[in-house]
Amino acid sequence: MRRILENIKIAFKSLALNKLRSFLTMLGIIIGVGSVVAVMSIGAGAEASITENIQSMGTNTITITPGREQVSMGGREVSAESIGGAQTGTDLMEQRRNFINGFTENEDEEISAGELHLEDVEALKEEASLLEEIVPVLTGGGSTFSYMNWTGSVNITATSEDYLNFAGYELEKGNFFTADDVSNSSNTVVLGYNVVTDYFGKANPIGENVKINGKKFTVTGILKSVGYTFGMSADNSIYIPITTAQNKLYGIDTVNQITAKVTSEEVIDEAIAEAKTIMRIQHHILPGGNSDFEISSSAQLLEMASSVTDIMVILLSSIAAISLLVGGIGIMNIMFVSVTERTREIGIRKAIGAKNRDIMIQFITESIVLSLSGGIIGIGFAVLITGVLGAFTTLSSPITASPVIMALSFSTAIGLIFGIFPAMRAARLNPIESLRHE
Amino acid sequence: MNMNKKIIEIKNVTKIYKIDSLKVNALNGIDLEIDNGEFLSIMGPSGSGKSTLMNILGCLDIPTSGSYLLEDEDVSKLNDNQLAEIRNKKVGFVFQTFNLLSRTNITGNVELPLIYSKGKKSRSRKDLISEVINSVGLAEWVRHRPNELSGGQRQRVAIARALVNDPAIILADEPTGNLDSRTGEEIMAIFQSLNRQGKTILFVTHEIDLAKHAGRIIYLKDGAITGEEIIKDPIDAQKRLEDMPKLEDKINSLGENISL
Ligand SMILES: Nc1ncnc2c1ncn2[C@@H]1O[C@H](COP(=O)(O)OP(=O)(O)O)[C@@H](O)[C@H]1O
Ligand SMILES: [Mg+2]
Repeated sequence: MRRILENIKIAFKSLALNKLRSFLTMLGIIIGVGSVVAVMSIGAGAEASITENIQSMGTNTITITPGREQVSMGGREVSAESIGGAQTGTDLMEQRRNFINGFTENEDEEISAGELHLEDVEALKEEASLLEEIVPVLTGGGSTFSYMNWTGSVNITATSEDYLNFAGYELEKGNFFTADDVSNSSNTVVLGYNVVTDYFGKANPIGENVKINGKKFTVTGILKSVGYTFGMSADNSIYIPITTAQNKLYGIDTVNQITAKVTSEEVIDEAIAEAKTIMRIQHHILPGGNSDFEISSSAQLLEMASSVTDIMVILLSSIAAISLLVGGIGIMNIMFVSVTERTREIGIRKAIGAKNRDIMIQFITESIVLSLSGGIIGIGFAVLITGVLGAFTTLSSPITASPVIMALSFSTAIGLIFGIFPAMRAARLNPIESLRHE
Repeated sequence: MNMNKKIIEIKNVTKIYKIDSLKVNALNGIDLEIDNGEFLSIMGPSGSGKSTLMNILGCLDIPTSGSYLLEDEDVSKLNDNQLAEIRNKKVGFVFQTFNLLSRTNITGNVELPLIYSKGKKSRSRKDLISEVINSVGLAEWVRHRPNELSGGQRQRVAIARALVNDPAIILADEPTGNLDSRTGEEIMAIFQSLNRQGKTILFVTHEIDLAKHAGRIIYLKDGAITGEEIIKDPIDAQKRLEDMPKLEDKINSLGENISL
């Protein structure tokens, strides 16, 4: 123990003697460790926030979206196609034509993409025993929103009266639109938190008239802040009855997706199977034919989200690993230089009774101290980076123990591995020749 | 320990350096016995093999052939580790070029042999170090680094370092070679004082004047012992120093002369 402390002291002394050189040598490790720790923390933070968001919707949610299964059918490749939320003029025409021709084409298996309609929602509500809070969603980004003479862009979420319960949002004031509003396609709107603060400030928006895409709506309620989901905040959205959006804003009768809660997590697979059966009947799909919709569960979303962040972390970590390798080679290089420079010192130590092992340990200690110091500084940098990131974005990525422990053991290992050869050279030096070295 | 006992016994020791195909016979069959407590000078011209012999006696090197008993232990066939241990415990080196660690202060330099020796818990390290530093008269310099010291002081540090592990022999290879005559005499005085306390000292020089501080001189030439001389009345370095006017005194008197 005493010997180890002695060696660490010697190591720090000799590194302090060449401060700039030591620092430059450490730079590779600093950058490598800094980016590994930062990337891992940011990755973990991002995954945690995504997971949290998905879980806040409940892990027992399923989502039905239009689109074909990617299966070749009769030698013909049929690809899935989804319908975007925001509609341009020509898209709108297309939609209408598709709708008019919809049924005949569907029966001929000619149409390439399925569509979801409110009838599907009704069918599910009637038949599905394992689903509750079945809500249609039609989203439109970048719609024009104006109040008095302020105009801006908001995201529209058009849905049914059940959405508030489904999403778990809470009202700050007023009421969410009702089933009557939905069946009457009434021009009522519920505002997200940010929309309220942006357009009304501290004023009470309830009962005020606003314009959405030029149409007049009355504000019936405002939501409490809910934070971010997938980098998008529901706080920036406004909520209107789905029928109103279909009939008065977009002129379509489709919905983007249907989401629902499964009665309990254990029956998620059964619920998906049930929903699939109902939907296939509803869409007149013959046995053996491919569904024109997809059903995913929030559990799948979770998996996808974590696999995406995993890939990101692996990718960035391998870049960092290369930096660590380069850093290690730098350490080896400088250690060889150090051994040559200190040949005489090695000779003196050997003459005085240092064994080969003692010299070896001394130089390995020095290279580990060099590398580990780089690692510790690197962790400091990572703390700084994630701190700055946390201050300027909503992404919170606290440095956890595991990347720190990993970084520390990595830099120790690098010091050891890349220090061995120079240390071996030092240990094998002949004492008499070393003493004669100038 | 028995004062008449042999501390070193070498028989027919040779050392051949091979440089490519060239062979240099640095030592050609040396026989030498050294008594415990002896002060021995080794004299010889440059290249005669003095340093080679010292390195072998100090276990820094092994002979090509021949036997070497150090305190009755055959050390001619030991491996690197065993030799290192002998160097640490039984040998104290003093070199012409001091060979101190330049970045380490005096205490650190003197401590060095202790770092590489196991055990020795009988006394605290600190006490031991300060005692040997005091014994060479450098108590006020412990925090200084070698480059802040004069040549004579540096050699004293080297002597303190050689003494700290209480070795059986002290090997000094031209220890006064880089010093002026007065400072050299001071170093010789330290060796003589150590010898009086019982230390065995081997001293290499090519100056007969310095060699005569020892009780015996052996003469080396071309790697062989060519003669031996017993000095009945060795030069007393302390006395010499008293007779020798100090350099400062000289300068002072010179200054006085000028001012007159
Ligand atoms: N490492 C070595 N390799 C080859 N020859 C050497 C080596 N060391 C010493 N010699 C040779 O051995 C002889 C004795 O050298 P040395 O013992 O240093 O003499 P001294 O110390 O008396 O001046 C010299 O001829 C020298 O050139
Ligand atoms: Mg010599």
